Amino acid sequence: MDSELIQQIRSEASYLLKDGTVKCVIGYERASDGLTSRPFFAYEPAAVERLIFDETCTHNLVRYLLDKKREKVAIVVKPCDSRAINLLLNEAQIKRHMVFIIGVTCSGVMETSCNDKGQALQARCQTCQMTKPLVYDFLVEQKLVERPEGEPYLDIQEIETKPIAARRAFWSEQFGRCIRCYACRQVCPGCYCPDCFVEQLDPLWVGIRIAPKENELWQITRAFHLAGRCIGCNECERVCPVDIPLGRLNRKLEKEVKELFTFQAGLSPEEQPPFATFKKEETLGFEE
Amino acid sequence: MNSQYQPKIIGFLCNWCSYAGADMAGTSRMSYEPNIRIIRVPCSGRVNPLLVLKCFQQGADGVLISGCHPGDCHYNEGNYHTRRRFALLRDFLDYLGIARDRLWVEWVSASEGQRFAQMVSNFTKELAELGPRSES
Repeated sequence: MDSELIQQIRSEASYLLKDGTVKCVIGYERASDGLTSRPFFAYEPAAVERLIFDETCTHNLVRYLLDKKREKVAIVVKPCDSRAINLLLNEAQIKRHMVFIIGVTCSGVMETSCNDKGQALQARCQTCQMTKPLVYDFLVEQKLVERPEGEPYLDIQEIETKPIAARRAFWSEQFGRCIRCYACRQVCPGCYCPDCFVEQLDPLWVGIRIAPKENELWQITRAFHLAGRCIGCNECERVCPVDIPLGRLNRKLEKEVKELFTFQAGLSPEEQPPFATFKKEETLGFEE
Repeated sequence: MNSQYQPKIIGFLCNWCSYAGADMAGTSRMSYEPNIRIIRVPCSGRVNPLLVLKCFQQGADGVLISGCHPGDCHYNEGNYHTRRRFALLRDFLDYLGIARDRLWVEWVSASEGQRFAQMVSNFTKELAELGPRSES
């Protein structure tokens, strides 16, 4: 654990709370297994001693900003999480002056589970080249490890090259396991609709029974609602209790949006998202 | 393949162009395949991707979304949004195992009855070749 890094986060958090700049600091603390980490909300200057940061800090805390719109809060973000802040700014869900961002440079977080610090970097981190948050008020730097530049869409291409029947069989099996706990939605910084389509009763888009066809409709629409909005934190896949590879849905859409509309979510708080705009001259494969 | 197989097509037609185009095909007594079930929508931009997914979930073999030609939208820009939305959905469904040829987006104006009849026939033929959903 990089103690200097943690000291910097703690002293900044303590300063902000004492000063009264923020009501709360959202960060990480050691989980009860003594190895991994969990989200932590510090309301008192004394509580900042519990704040930590290391490579087990996988959570995207930006989701919590949606519950703290009324008071100014400080939040610890990794580079990928900072894209979620840009997304929420872009969609006018949070106000920039209501958030104090403590950015942490990062060279990847581990694939952790309970009682396991993890042996390897998360798959999404292995080829990621972002080391510095895109938006921050206070930057904490740590020693970075060089990561090789790699093809980020290999697992997507693997599915794309399968014959269509095999693709369908693959996804039917995956969606068939879904228990519709909606953990993927609850953890996602982009899923904040007050009334989710899946819980609407009129029209009843998705039936309440846990059946393959209903699950499929939920999964496809969840992913499609994040098209051009998913920032790739992969929290949905991490929390999925039945290990559905949700990242492979989100990243397929990310790849297509990049190819069709040359757009990537969360890089700027101003750029118009692809479905809010259009170009008259594009045909996108449809005959005029 | 079973020669008796008749694909089911759900067609979302915009009120201002394509629905009138279909009407034109009817009043001109053009014959085309009866496999299409038409739903009239105020604009092709009204078609929520959920509607399309719901059609496939409920057993449709193909879905047609048809609106005014780009530039001719009654609401100026509805069909430009339709185009972006379904270009992406079509690729995504293909990735999930619903062939891209099952989702058609076509522009048909109010005067193009002939074109509409021809298109429905072509779509039906193509779906018949693809076979039932369970096969491709």
